[in-house]
Amino acid sequence: MAEFEPKILAFCCNWCSYAGADLAGVSRLQYPPNIRIIRVMCSGRVEPEFVVKALSLRADGVLILGCHIGDCHYIYGNHRTKKRMAILERILGYLGIDPARVRLEWVSASEGARFAEVVRQFTEEIKKLGPNPLKEVRA
Amino acid sequence: MIENIRDLARKWLESKEVDAIFGLKEQDGGVAPYLFTGRVNGISELGKLTTSTQYRRLCYTCRPSKDNILSLMQRREPNMKIGIVARGCEERALVELAKRGQIDLEKIKIMGIACSQEEAKECKCERPYPNNLVIGERVEGVSGDENINALLSKSLPERLAFWRHELSKCIKCYGCRDACPMCFCKDCKMEQKIFTETGSLPPEIPMFLFIRFYHISERCIGCGECEKACPVDIPLLTIFRQLRRDMKDLFDYEAGIAVEQESPLLTTLDESPMRKEVTSGV
Amino acid sequence: MEYKNVLTTCPYCGCGCNFYLQVLDGKLIGILPCKSHPVSQGKLCIKGLNAGDFVTSKDRLTKPLIKRNGKFTDISWDEALFLVAKKLKEYKESYGPDSIAVLSSAKCTNEENYLMMKFARAVLGTNNVDHCARLCHASTVVGLVQSFGSGAMTNSIRELEDADCILVIGSNTPEQHPLIARYILRAKEKGAKIIVADPRSITLVQFADYHLRHRPGTDVALFNGMMNVILNEGLEDKEFIKERTEGIEELKEVVKKYTPEYVEQITGVPKDILVDAARTYAKAERASIIYSMGITQHTTGVDNVRSSANLAMLTGNLGKPSTGVNPLRGQVNVQGACDMGALPNVYSGYQNVVDEKAREKFGNAWKVKLPEKPGLTIIEMMNEAAKGNIKAMYIMGENPMVSDPDISHVKEGLEKLEFLVVQDIFLTETAQLADVVLPGACYAEKEGTFTSTERLVQMVRKAIEPPGESKADWEIICSLAKAMGSKEFEYVSPAEIMDEIASFTLSYGGMSYDRLQKGGLAWPCPSKEHPGTPYLHKEKFSRANGKGKFFGIEFKEPAELPDEEYPFILSTGRIIFHFHTGTMTRRTELLNKEVPTGYVEIAHIDAARLGIGAGEFVSVQTRRGQIKTKALITERVPEGMIFIPFHFAECAANVLTNPAFDPVAKIPEYKVCAARIEKVKVS
Ligand code: SF4
Ligand code: SF4
Ligand code: SF4
Ligand code: FES
Repeated sequence: MAEFEPKILAFCCNWCSYAGADLAGVSRLQYPPNIRIIRVMCSGRVEPEFVVKALSLRADGVLILGCHIGDCHYIYGNHRTKKRMAILERILGYLGIDPARVRLEWVSASEGARFAEVVRQFTEEIKKLGPNPLKEVRA
Repeated sequence: MIENIRDLARKWLESKEVDAIFGLKEQDGGVAPYLFTGRVNGISELGKLTTSTQYRRLCYTCRPSKDNILSLMQRREPNMKIGIVARGCEERALVELAKRGQIDLEKIKIMGIACSQEEAKECKCERPYPNNLVIGERVEGVSGDENINALLSKSLPERLAFWRHELSKCIKCYGCRDACPMCFCKDCKMEQKIFTETGSLPPEIPMFLFIRFYHISERCIGCGECEKACPVDIPLLTIFRQLRRDMKDLFDYEAGIAVEQESPLLTTLDESPMRKEVTSGV
Repeated sequence: MEYKNVLTTCPYCGCGCNFYLQVLDGKLIGILPCKSHPVSQGKLCIKGLNAGDFVTSKDRLTKPLIKRNGKFTDISWDEALFLVAKKLKEYKESYGPDSIAVLSSAKCTNEENYLMMKFARAVLGTNNVDHCARLCHASTVVGLVQSFGSGAMTNSIRELEDADCILVIGSNTPEQHPLIARYILRAKEKGAKIIVADPRSITLVQFADYHLRHRPGTDVALFNGMMNVILNEGLEDKEFIKERTEGIEELKEVVKKYTPEYVEQITGVPKDILVDAARTYAKAERASIIYSMGITQHTTGVDNVRSSANLAMLTGNLGKPSTGVNPLRGQVNVQGACDMGALPNVYSGYQNVVDEKAREKFGNAWKVKLPEKPGLTIIEMMNEAAKGNIKAMYIMGENPMVSDPDISHVKEGLEKLEFLVVQDIFLTETAQLADVVLPGACYAEKEGTFTSTERLVQMVRKAIEPPGESKADWEIICSLAKAMGSKEFEYVSPAEIMDEIASFTLSYGGMSYDRLQKGGLAWPCPSKEHPGTPYLHKEKFSRANGKGKFFGIEFKEPAELPDEEYPFILSTGRIIFHFHTGTMTRRTELLNKEVPTGYVEIAHIDAARLGIGAGEFVSVQTRRGQIKTKALITERVPEGMIFIPFHFAECAANVLTNPAFDPVAKIPEYKVCAARIEKVKVS
């Protein structure tokens, strides 16, 4: 059987993380190709529903990347993200979806290497977790 | 106890402390919420004022306008002072509604009543009394641990299987949402195609009900109306109960206790820091 | 400020849920579930929870309308009634009473149905009165009367919860009768075995122990197969058969050849599954059968119904709690409309019009000589109208232009009429064809009673005033009768009408508003002291000799089978989000959001073969007509079958359906016809 290649969705905020991803690209840093990026203006734009919808539509993992606390372009956007994701993870756990499939990380515009590292690590982790069980539920 | 409630209601009406009493009325072989007004016949109708375990709460959201009945009344007659016979959960609902700008508590006088031990047991209510206790004796809360522990003792795949079974029963009646005092959004996401498939049964698992789990997570006052409204007995309250604990755990927050206490989802990390680092519920 | 809650009965399906209408200063502001109600227990389905929407719709009719030069204009009530009375009198006199036909309504109250049939018989002098029960459960009324002597659900809804086995056949219960499905699921939690027999993989299948996916229209073979197994293995209830039934030999004779192998050939149900299901049903202490339109809407509808009765009698599953044969009636008051005699052959309480004594009893009371000849059924009315023999029709609260089979033919008939009066709350597809339209009041605006599928008679209470000049249907019928010169319609309130019903109808004999105000009563309730009857046939059956009767029934194929030209089996039905012809649900915001328009369900494999993609437009054709609609590709239907919900006038399934009907019950075969489906080329 071919090795499981997870599908990973990443929400990157426009001002830091997306720029970080860009930098990783420009610097030709290697990171796994499993990731698809959706650019949002701020990590605070990411509603927990987006994450669950992504999982429901068969993503194996979801990354939410924003500016470090204190650096958010909208000042408190990422404060909200952090609180929301905490609740989201709990609910996912109760429903039987491994919260490890969702990860919130802060990546600044200058952290191209960190971006690549986060993606690499997360992809590894999702490979270990295996395919998203919701795929079967929704089959 | 019911005589005390009627007497006090009469006193409030006669002294014009309130213009009307919002309470339960005996009718048609059952009970239903009713507004007893200060008019003569309103006062004489007080003989029908009652309490019942069936409608522990009175302030439901009215559809299709999606307004709470109290906000509708207040909008219609902003100066009217309404007295309301409120159990613990009702009072918590009022506090939370006021906090979220739905009703004006200034114009509401709460006649807090305590639930009996049996009543508390039926609901597995953790706080079977209001802050403004006026009538009745306060009894200790009952824990709803059993269901929660049963869920938490399951492995992740077992939990998923459990919810897959339960949520497959859902007939998308929206009854849980309609019964919830905290579900008053004019534009409910549960109805929106981009979030959850429309027209299919069972509704998208787990998306459809997740929307409510998340939206109500920090405002749930634990009244249990959602679960009681469910025609297929999905144990919705198990999750909401646990989430109420999580709110304490994560943000040291409890919905429905004080109007001044702001929702942690509306404040910054500086204003109300998180108690713990992001941890999963596993 | 005035805020009150008015308890009433849900206007949609036959579950008979109750809820409160919330009224603030005379305006309807919402629906509140009623927690003390025995069936609904504070729970409702999406239709019930939104049953306030259409009431306040701006499309409501508020004034009588008359069509002049093809356009509707307002007229006054006096003019309208005068005109209708004059016209009806003219037709009665010049062409005879039987040139007029009347459609009553399963959406109206018992009192209104009673008045409507009284109006047809006593004022017009014709037995040409029918209603949509013809289209859903006529075969139940006929079939169960033959088997048991009474054509209604034998047991009550809540008893289901304690059954050990439930056989659900031809009923998509979770969608059609959600609050009954609740009790099936509860039984399941308590350990009951669930058998679902349905060609479609309905949501209940997920909770079923057995799914018998038989070919549409082969129900008789399936039942015979189960009985064959039961008899072979000696699982029948010998004592019950001996004491309480007759005709077992006839049954044995016929059933003999329906071996599991043979039945597998006919139905496509693997024989092992059939055998297991038969054993499970037979061995259960208390087994219930639930069926609905999947059984009745066939040319063999009566056969199907009697077969289910055979199976229940064979295993002694009657006359006890949590057992029985339970037809789920679709419309809120279809049970009541039948009970009230809005049928061409019976008065209230199923007293036959050909029975001289009954005729005399009613004739004396109403001070007229009543017609003897049974009248026409809906489909016959349309046929006769098309032929020009029916000249005038009075339709109350029905929409045959969407609900009846072969709509083009219905349209032809209605257009041919010289005079058509429609009484409704909206300008329905049918009302648009009318010469005069009379605005009725809806359930929230009038008083009366509905009889739910479990024979429970419950109050409908007035919460708000009807819009504009519209009036309660019972008032309109009375005014019209008076305008035609009758003196027998002097009622001041529906309570009085109920008293009259009670005095002529044994099963309703003990009913009165005083009693009903305190809660529902299940008929038979023959006297003031009688508490009502949750389950029937306890000691004896209602047939004349008190015995249940077995019928040996051979399997017959549906009237129209797929062939080369029309290779698919087309079946039609309802979905949870809409109701019947959609007049109410399609004016409800949330329901429209869920399902805005119609579609056709088709299996993946068929869609792939025909190159049809999800959501693409297809054309569905039968020998009657064709419609354009969207494809929904799903595993719900098996290969070779397509399914269309019939609620949507713009892609009306009933343009396609076959009006071939059961020879006795005259119910049309909505559930099977041959169809062709192809992708619509985008030009
Ligand atoms: S218990 Fe249910 S109905 Fe009550 S507030 Fe919480 S979510 Fe809403
Ligand atoms: S009340 Fe129950 S069935 Fe209705 S939408 Fe909520 S979970 Fe689904
Ligand atoms: S189940 Fe039937 S009676 Fe009950 S709310 Fe739904 S439509 Fe109304
Ligand atoms: S802008 Fe980057 S997190 Fe808000």
